[in-house]
Amino acid sequence: MTKDELTEEESLSGKDYLDPPPVKTFEVRELKKWSFYRAVIAEFIATLLFLYVTVLTVIGFKSQTDINAGGGACASVGLLGISWAFGGMIFILVYCTAGISGGHINPAVTFGLFLASKVSLVRAVSYMVAQCLGATCGVGLVKVFQSTYYNRYGGGANMLSDGYNVGVGVGAEIIGTFVLVYTVFSATDPKRNARDSHIPVLAPLPIGFSVFMVHLATIPITGTGINPARSFGAAVIYNNQKAWDDQWIFWVGPFVGAAIAAFYHQFVLRAGAMKAYGSVRSQLHELHA
Amino acid sequence: MEGKEEDVNVGANKFPERQPIGTAAQTESKDYKEPPPAPFFEPGELKSWSFYRAGIAEFIATFLFLYVTVLTVMGVKRAPNMCASVGIQGIAWAFGGMIFALVYCTAGISGGHINPAVTFGLFLARKLSLTRALFYIVMQCLGAICGAGVVKGFQPGLYQTNGGGANVVAHGYTKGSGLGAEIVGTFVLVYTVFSATDAKRSARDSHVPILAPLPIGFAVFLVHLATIPITGTGINPARSLGAAIIYNKDHAWDDHWIFWVGPFIGAALAALYHQIVIRAIPFKSKT
Repeated sequence: MTKDELTEEESLSGKDYLDPPPVKTFEVRELKKWSFYRAVIAEFIATLLFLYVTVLTVIGFKSQTDINAGGGACASVGLLGISWAFGGMIFILVYCTAGISGGHINPAVTFGLFLASKVSLVRAVSYMVAQCLGATCGVGLVKVFQSTYYNRYGGGANMLSDGYNVGVGVGAEIIGTFVLVYTVFSATDPKRNARDSHIPVLAPLPIGFSVFMVHLATIPITGTGINPARSFGAAVIYNNQKAWDDQWIFWVGPFVGAAIAAFYHQFVLRAGAMKAYGSVRSQLHELHA
Repeated sequence: MEGKEEDVNVGANKFPERQPIGTAAQTESKDYKEPPPAPFFEPGELKSWSFYRAGIAEFIATFLFLYVTVLTVMGVKRAPNMCASVGIQGIAWAFGGMIFALVYCTAGISGGHINPAVTFGLFLARKLSLTRALFYIVMQCLGAICGAGVVKGFQPGLYQTNGGGANVVAHGYTKGSGLGAEIVGTFVLVYTVFSATDAKRSARDSHVPILAPLPIGFAVFLVHLATIPITGTGINPARSLGAAIIYNKDHAWDDHWIFWVGPFIGAALAALYHQIVIRAIPFKSKT
């Protein structure tokens, strides 16, 4: 029976991949498994390391280039180095945690995947909480190591730069997050995996590069959030009025961008996925009837 | 309804190793086996050429690593101004890029450690024997000393004037900050090494290990970006020792303990995290 069913499905699709079924929104059985808690811990540690390395790089850049403190124009890794820190860190952390938690490290990514029914509500909320806590701890570590420099040089917090209005900031965050989440969807697409002979070794690299390139573009505007946990962690530890005043930009923008990316990928690019799924389901229904 | 869900799940499991990474799907089938813990003492390997070849490979790799990286540091230091050199980011690339290239070259020969902290972390995880771990660490330190020595040989005056590429805690930072930076930095590196060499990950990648050295090299690059202002970034006791011995100044030796204690603690934490939390190996049933 099982064998026959498999054969049927094979002939049905004529493909060597099958889109996984949507995850139940209110799946709670996973709460009993260690793999769920391991995934949450992995997201916490990954986001902690992400914020530690990136904010440390930002503070290092500002302290080393501070003319009044004996710094010089090229005495640090530069804005290019900061962009590499963000993009490179996402690359290695997605690489390390992909098989454990899916390697989100970003509430916007989690939100996008939740909208696409790839993670349950329980898992999505747990990941976001772990990411925000990890981010706060990561920036906290940076402050502990160099509290004077940390406070003097802006705490790595995301704030709208002078000369840009709120609309520009939100727009930059929306489009930036769209780039990232759209890349995540493409990198994790079963159809693409089939094209790559089911060897997912390269998936983390374009994700890291998309973060890198968005930072190249929008550091002058907002310092580049595109990751609400990152913005939240820095705001909590820096605890500055302007950082909090602008904080909403770094949640609304990324979540809107993620939603647009989810819609674009699921309903425009992979419209066939919904049709195929419906087709398979109706076929199975007929088999049972 | 229940039946339909089950049937669809059956279909999804036709390709157990092909779940999209974003979904964190769990699969029951395994086509990998956890290698057994390495014995502490394995006298047999002392009679095998591959043991000595591995040690020689670690020596040569660490020698080349120190040669390229310390020479890059010297180039930046002696330039009339930072803008006229490859800069701090260039230094970070030298460290990360060399690790990428050298791990790629020596992964199949010695495991591509090039770092006593990595060797220590893998030893704690029972991936290699005590004799091999000690042999690797000695060869790495000797290679580092020779690498820094060649750089000094090229330009002895400049080498001594410009700090010799030695790791010291910078002004404005406490020794505690330096130690903390070394611990977390080495954790990032060794954790990435564990992830890259994990048997389960190898299975997920259909046992095609083509990308393993790249994230390791990136981890080194990224930690250098972050902590060069604090300690010049050690995260590799052999690298710190090689420069300290050849430079041989008091302030380099005063801080030197930080570059052994920090990396070894960081490596131990990474080993603990990966083996106990991520892989839960001690809690798996023993057949």
